[in-house]
Amino acid sequence: MLKRDQGVMLPTQVATPGYKVELRGTAFCLVATGSWTVREATALDSGLRRLSVPIPPTPDFTGQVDISGIEQLDTAGAWLLQRTVRLWEDRGLQTHFVGATESFEILLDEVRLRGEDQRMETQSGGLFSSMVADWTRAMTSVANDAILITSFLGHLIVTISRMIGQPWRFRPNSFIHHLDHAGFRAVPIIALICLLIGAVVMQQGVVQLERYGAETFAVNMVGILSLREVGILLTAIMVAGRSGSAFTAEIGSMKMREEIDAMRTLGIDPMETLVAPRVLALIVALPLLTFVGDMMCLIGGGVMAKVMLGLDSRTYIDALQGAVDMRHFLAGMVKAPFAALIIGLVGCLEGLKVSGSAESLGFHVTSAVVKAIFLVIIFDALFAMFLSAIGV
Amino acid sequence: MMASNVATRDQDQPIISVRGLAKRFGTQQIWDDLNLDVLRGEIIGIVGGSGQGKSVLLRVITGLVTPDTGTISVFGRDVRELSREEKVDMESRWGVLFQDGALFSSLTVLQNIQVPMREHLELPQSIMDDLAYLKLAMVGLPTDAAHKFPSELSGGMRKRAGLARALSLDPEIVFLDEPTAGLDPIGASAFDQLIKKLQQTLGLTVYMVTHDLDTIFTVCDRVAVLADKKIVRTGTPEELRTRPLHPWIEEYFCGERARAALT
Repeated sequence: MLKRDQGVMLPTQVATPGYKVELRGTAFCLVATGSWTVREATALDSGLRRLSVPIPPTPDFTGQVDISGIEQLDTAGAWLLQRTVRLWEDRGLQTHFVGATESFEILLDEVRLRGEDQRMETQSGGLFSSMVADWTRAMTSVANDAILITSFLGHLIVTISRMIGQPWRFRPNSFIHHLDHAGFRAVPIIALICLLIGAVVMQQGVVQLERYGAETFAVNMVGILSLREVGILLTAIMVAGRSGSAFTAEIGSMKMREEIDAMRTLGIDPMETLVAPRVLALIVALPLLTFVGDMMCLIGGGVMAKVMLGLDSRTYIDALQGAVDMRHFLAGMVKAPFAALIIGLVGCLEGLKVSGSAESLGFHVTSAVVKAIFLVIIFDALFAMFLSAIGV
Repeated sequence: MMASNVATRDQDQPIISVRGLAKRFGTQQIWDDLNLDVLRGEIIGIVGGSGQGKSVLLRVITGLVTPDTGTISVFGRDVRELSREEKVDMESRWGVLFQDGALFSSLTVLQNIQVPMREHLELPQSIMDDLAYLKLAMVGLPTDAAHKFPSELSGGMRKRAGLARALSLDPEIVFLDEPTAGLDPIGASAFDQLIKKLQQTLGLTVYMVTHDLDTIFTVCDRVAVLADKKIVRTGTPEELRTRPLHPWIEEYFCGERARAALT
């Protein structure tokens, strides 16, 4: 902020800003006084907007802005003055400043010069058009995602088939590491969750079927449901939340620090070193975890059967054996590698999409989990339809 | 006539005055009895070797780091004895440009510039937009940068945008932390000119931490040298070069690079 006397004003000295328009000979004069700073800008702005622009009665009338009474001036004040000047000049009044100190002059000139720059308007259409735009953006992003993930899958298949021809390209260390992290370390949480859900399904089944006197059929329900749907879905969702997000975060932070670019310049294929070991590890780990999940679901059901129906373990196992057979188990298990492929692909792809900022990393981690779970469930539904159509 | 007397006296008084500052991090004593005066309307460059606490001094003056002992007064008030409201008021009278701009990454450049206005004042959106565009033009950024996010800008543009945010409320003092670090020589020289121009246009006092000899010789009115745990000398760049009187200053101002900067 510039001060007329270049000294410090005491707070009591700070004059409230003011302006008036008067006629001096053949010049309309805007007399501005006080402190024209950003703090006073709101009041000054609304006042100046209401101020009607004088209409020159004859062409030789001019405009003047007398600022000899201004104590303090900053860019906001200068901008308000220049805006008024521009309005007056648009009406044909040649306007100039009177009473500016040297420093005020510099600021006013700078603001005039800079204020004339073209600006980019943000196009804010109506509610409807912005809604349409949002929908269009959402649809195209879904389409783009579909294309991206398909091409990424193709890229991965090419990489893996090259690995089969040239087995030394395979990275066993990385593979084992991810098998440990995504697989072995996920066992406790998946076991616990499946145990609890198995028990809950059994308990609800017994309560509902009791009304028809068919409570022993709850065992059939738990057996078939666990093996076909619950085991695989719960495991896949847990793994998507645990490992899919970890893949995105790991690869994404490498992307942020240009490590991926560095690998490429060193002739290392990130697809081979980062993506393939992760996806392959997940394809091995998820069926194993699903098996653990299935068994824990059945055990949970068994515990609840003991509590609610008084079935001992031998009777429970006999009942299960009567209810389920191998095809139910396989119908669940066959989905596991595909779910693993989806989770791994989405996790790695989102990681590679991360750009510069930490915010982008957070966004892509969230998006990886949401997309992976969504796709796993869609895929599961398709499988259920397919399997029932072929009578399994 | 009282008023003009007050004004003259205030003008002579330093705008920032640091007395007897000491700070220790763990076992490391950074300064002990550091004194510094910054005069109104000057561009002062703070130089010193690595680890002398140049950036920490900036943080101490702006209240981000508390010193062990010593007084710091800005605008004639002791910054450590202010109430919360007075502190906020004082913060709106200075602007800080951090090394990499420190722009808020979730906001566009235009929104970044408007943050101080939103926090300290109640302005209608139209004025904030107009003022932010004006500030953007004043720091030499193209208008199409307004709706970009900081991650989409180059390092030099981020610094300019950070400067625009620091200038958002037309502060009286601007603190710059290594404004030209990481810029190419042309960009650095353009930034120097920008600082000089803005200082003249807005009547700023500029407190600048820097390593850059070109910056010192082209824009700084005075230089303060941090060495031996205190400010060992202050003076115009020319004075320090012709009469260094301290081994570090001699090495810095009369070394190979200084000679290159002068030619």
